[in-house]
Amino acid sequence: MALDKNTVAVGTELPTLTKPAITRDTLKVYGPAAGDPNPMHVDEEFAKNAGYPGVFAHGMLSMGYLGEFLHKAAGGVANVRKFRARFAKLTWPGDVVSCKGTVSAVRDEGGKKLVDCDIWTETQSGEKKIVGTATLAL
Amino acid sequence: MPPSKEMIGRVLSTGSATVDAEHVASFAAALGDTNPEYETVAPPTYPIAFMTQAMSGGMNTFLELGLNFMTLVHGEQEFEFVRPVKVGETLELTGRIADIYEKTNSAGATLDFVVMETEGKDSAGKPVFYSRNVLISKRI
Repeated sequence: MALDKNTVAVGTELPTLTKPAITRDTLKVYGPAAGDPNPMHVDEEFAKNAGYPGVFAHGMLSMGYLGEFLHKAAGGVANVRKFRARFAKLTWPGDVVSCKGTVSAVRDEGGKKLVDCDIWTETQSGEKKIVGTATLAL
Repeated sequence: MPPSKEMIGRVLSTGSATVDAEHVASFAAALGDTNPEYETVAPPTYPIAFMTQAMSGGMNTFLELGLNFMTLVHGEQEFEFVRPVKVGETLELTGRIADIYEKTNSAGATLDFVVMETEGKDSAGKPVFYSRNVLISKRI
């Protein structure tokens, strides 16, 4: 369900989107589709040599999940105006990502209601992984 | 050699490509996003895949930055849309180095930050989207 432009207010929560658990296959499919050849996300040996416990998810995979979360909250891709994310912590195979957000400001502009949101992803442990902001036009 | 501030403002690469229906569909499928709108418009984060496809040049300038590839991470990403990217349209992209700076982390290591900005314009020369990408690498 998209946000309702008539009732949206500071503090309104965006409908949470929870994605299926990330697997190594998810990463093997995302990399080529996004044109990202970085072996860090698919090659265990490479990731270990770089000092990580193993492969980890592309930050842009989680940001892509946030994109789906936002177009659903906004009622369409065209209503997503601005979208920013900081990749604060790594997301790993096995993690279940939930996209969440709350409205931080609402203003009228050109017949539209512009809605600023604080958005983030968190995993099953409740740890925030990527944090950002978005502006939706309702 | 750490990145030189003299490179701020340099055009990293330019290029143009047509938004391919199959490419958009495979990108959406990789995200598990089944939005029916994707027959005509691209997902919000699609510009990241399109930029890779459209701007193959710029590698020399990128190497000139002197970032440490083993410690290179994508720190931040921002998109601003004038309108959605449409399937079948041709966009022209210009990528530029917007900023270069350094910070020291809590462990005392120096982190190099490079901010890249990319603008996507349609065939009429009108802006469609802006992307801002922050890359971070630890100096060794």
